Amino acid sequence: MNYPVWDVAFGAGLLIALVAILHVFVSHFAVGGGLFLVVTEHRARRKNDAALLGWLKKHTRFFVLVTVVFGAISGVGIWFTIALISPTATSNLIHAYVWGWAIEWVFFFLEITAALLYLYGWDKLEPRLHLWYGWIYFGAAYLSLVIINGIIAFMLTSGSWTKNHEFWKGFFNPTYFPSLAFRTAIALALAGIYALITASVEKDAGLKARIVRWCAWWIVPSLAVLPPLGWWYIRRIPADVWASARGPMPTATHYAGFAVVLLAVTFVLALLSLLKPGRMHLSFSLLVALVALGAMGSFEFVREAIRKPFVISNYLYANSLYSTQIPGDGGFSVDEVNAAGVLPSAKWASNRDLAGSNLAGVGHEIFRVECESCHTANAYRGLKHYIALRQWDESKIQAMAGGLEFMHNGVMPPFAGTDAERGVLAVYLNTIEPISAEAAVAATDGQTVFDQNCSMCHRVNASDPLFKNLTSDPAAAGEALKDLTALFPLMPDLKLTGPQRTALAEWINAQRSAKGFGNPAQGGK
Amino acid sequence: MMQSNPIPALDPNPLPAPYWVFKLLLIVTFVLHIVAMNFLLGGGVLALTAKWRAKNGGFGGRLFSDVAKKMPVLLPATITLGIAPLLFVQVLYGQFFYTSSIVMAWPWFLVLAMLTAAYYGFYYVSFRSGQHGGKAGGVMLVSVILVFLIGFLFSNNLTLSQTPARWATKYFADPGGWNLNLTEPALIPRFLHFFTAAVAVGGIFLVFVALANWKRDREYARQVLQFGGKAFMYATMAQFVVGLVFLVSLPRGLRMLFMGDSPLAATLLLVGITGGIAAIFVMSGALRNENIRAAALYAPGVLAVTIACMAVMRDLLRDAYLSPYFHAGQFAVATQWSVLPLFLALFVAGVILWLVMMRRYGLLGGKKEIERPQP
Ligand code: HEM
Repeated sequence: MNYPVWDVAFGAGLLIALVAILHVFVSHFAVGGGLFLVVTEHRARRKNDAALLGWLKKHTRFFVLVTVVFGAISGVGIWFTIALISPTATSNLIHAYVWGWAIEWVFFFLEITAALLYLYGWDKLEPRLHLWYGWIYFGAAYLSLVIINGIIAFMLTSGSWTKNHEFWKGFFNPTYFPSLAFRTAIALALAGIYALITASVEKDAGLKARIVRWCAWWIVPSLAVLPPLGWWYIRRIPADVWASARGPMPTATHYAGFAVVLLAVTFVLALLSLLKPGRMHLSFSLLVALVALGAMGSFEFVREAIRKPFVISNYLYANSLYSTQIPGDGGFSVDEVNAAGVLPSAKWASNRDLAGSNLAGVGHEIFRVECESCHTANAYRGLKHYIALRQWDESKIQAMAGGLEFMHNGVMPPFAGTDAERGVLAVYLNTIEPISAEAAVAATDGQTVFDQNCSMCHRVNASDPLFKNLTSDPAAAGEALKDLTALFPLMPDLKLTGPQRTALAEWINAQRSAKGFGNPAQGGK
Repeated sequence: MMQSNPIPALDPNPLPAPYWVFKLLLIVTFVLHIVAMNFLLGGGVLALTAKWRAKNGGFGGRLFSDVAKKMPVLLPATITLGIAPLLFVQVLYGQFFYTSSIVMAWPWFLVLAMLTAAYYGFYYVSFRSGQHGGKAGGVMLVSVILVFLIGFLFSNNLTLSQTPARWATKYFADPGGWNLNLTEPALIPRFLHFFTAAVAVGGIFLVFVALANWKRDREYARQVLQFGGKAFMYATMAQFVVGLVFLVSLPRGLRMLFMGDSPLAATLLLVGITGGIAAIFVMSGALRNENIRAAALYAPGVLAVTIACMAVMRDLLRDAYLSPYFHAGQFAVATQWSVLPLFLALFVAGVILWLVMMRRYGLLGGKKEIERPQP
């Protein structure tokens, strides 16, 4: 709300994901592929393999067209995109880490120059000198990963930076090394995966077979070390952060599953390519690349998803509000906005009149400044869909919005603002998917009542407070559910009907016995 | 209804080095960026002109393919040299630059698509420059037009970033970001000023092409020298008109800075114009005597002074535009002594390695090490 919010109709989050995934898929190739070029050139020269050298020369051209052109532009693309969608985060990052980027830029400059000279040098340079450029390329490319990895990992696990704001404390943060190792392995695998593409169009079957086998040496071991590296990575992520990926929040869980499956498929396909290496078809190599892209994309989605609700962990929320008040935050921390109100705080709102006639319009402004960095009205992560799914009417939306930070294991920041503003937000959201008060309490089977009202915060397991503590006497439970805030002060004040409460209490008991949770602790409410 | 102050607040992090360090880096890297861009855009425009005029024979076809082969290097040079000022402009002027970018978000985002298309176009032409198909000229034209439009979008964004008073109306008219800054009276003159400079400096680029061919093929090199040198002279003469229009299009208070209100700005303008005139004279003498040394060394040397003056003036102008909202003293400074020396050391090492790389390849006056064609 300090900066205007770019209203991307199909979803700002989707746009960032698109640019970022394409970029990482190419930029990791730029790193691993550099090593592939020089090592392969050494090998071909040692074996005096003119055919392999001939192919490698063509592969270099492909490499440059993909990495120097698309890789470099999509890298600038990330800058453009994050600045458009998360200007506050970008501003923080640039002030804290500009020297990191300046260092990366030095490597980048060397990298681009070396890549071009390596490409143009194929016909002009004596072998040793040509290889010299290749090694410089790889060294510079790898060092730029060494730098940028620090900043990316910092956003996920800011370590002690939030306390001391020291450059190196944030840089060498808890996930720095696992992330670097993980990305290195990915880079090496991608080197082989991309090389399959240029190998597949090779006419000479013998040569093709040799290259495909050589590629397998890059792909198979690298993919094989990914699971242990991934495990290391995950272990360095604080439990509460990772919890959201394991919880009911769909994004991270789904994509973690995708990532694993797609990686396995890539692995199998790489092995399959060894069956008839001399006859590998272009379509097959593209399939491998596509699956790998899917795996990489899923990995990025997981990383982004578990980082939520933050853009910079324990510091800045995805919607550009600071998680705690700090000097110089301009009044844009959750607490300050709670006290002052969104509308008076937001620099970019055209309609602030809480007493006026266009309440939905005011609510829309609030939605834009607080929610649109991740949600849309009815496209990507569209609220229309969620509201329809849960059948929330205006009053329920208002109640639920008071506890956003508890939903789905805490992937969302809390709503910041006054109660009246939360009410207007509900008015707006009710216009995008109008649900009547009657429809909101229409469900009478326990499962549906649970899904619509409880499932965003409660899970069906023995340790969940609902299953652990709610009394198993249906009548008493139905009575207790009348006043949720009395049960637990942070619960929303939902008004379930009598039949709903009874159905819910019975359903909970049924779950307990079906799943063997045992009875609630003595004195349970 | 906007809040009275539309300028976004700074973030809590202090500047990690004194203000002037970033200012210096911004101006220096911007000059490098703009010169690379001029080679690209001006060189491209002149190559197309040469090819088009060559329909009835002449050196144009050859010059076209010579320049076309350089485009896939000039574009990444422009981009890479653009990233550095992109970093530093965000460090100092993020509050303004982010906001104006968001106000014109879609056109700004489309720069990326345009860059990609232009880039692959240049590669297409360069890989094909041997065979003389009809398509190369067309593809090159499209790529050059894209580069021209990208420059125009940059001018839109930078002028918009300097006029916060315009933001709100534009933003609320379309929060989706389909905006430009076409209502800014100084926009077109300013951009034409850049474009005319690009053609002039593109002429200098051709003089370098002539230099590279001076020993090998004197006849061709002479023609390129004359063509490039004249392009430089005419474009720079035109600049006196375009620059004047630009000056007149500025708000009065800002214009007066260059007319004496600010001694520094006025001096820079005077030196800049004098440098331009001097460069024209040097070039004209060089063309008359076919003196490649004067054309490729002295004229650009004099011109460099003008470019430096202009870059500083551009910066003074920005700070004048922003004076109601921005001043250097607004920043807290906490120099990151644990990183800055590392950057400086790596920067120096990088420059040295870069020079070695260029020279070992036989560029920048180096001798190519033992050539041996490979299989
Ligand atoms: C072919 C592509 C490009 C062209 C023709 C171009 C042209 C220009 C022009 C004409 C300006 C000055 C605008 C004005 O002041 O009115 C400019 C400024 C700038 N350009 Fe580029 N540009 C190109 C690509 C890039 C890229 C890819 C980047 C970043 C990676 C970049 C970074 C910058 C920056 C940061 C400035 C402003 C510096 C400052 O305000 O001090 N440019 N460019």
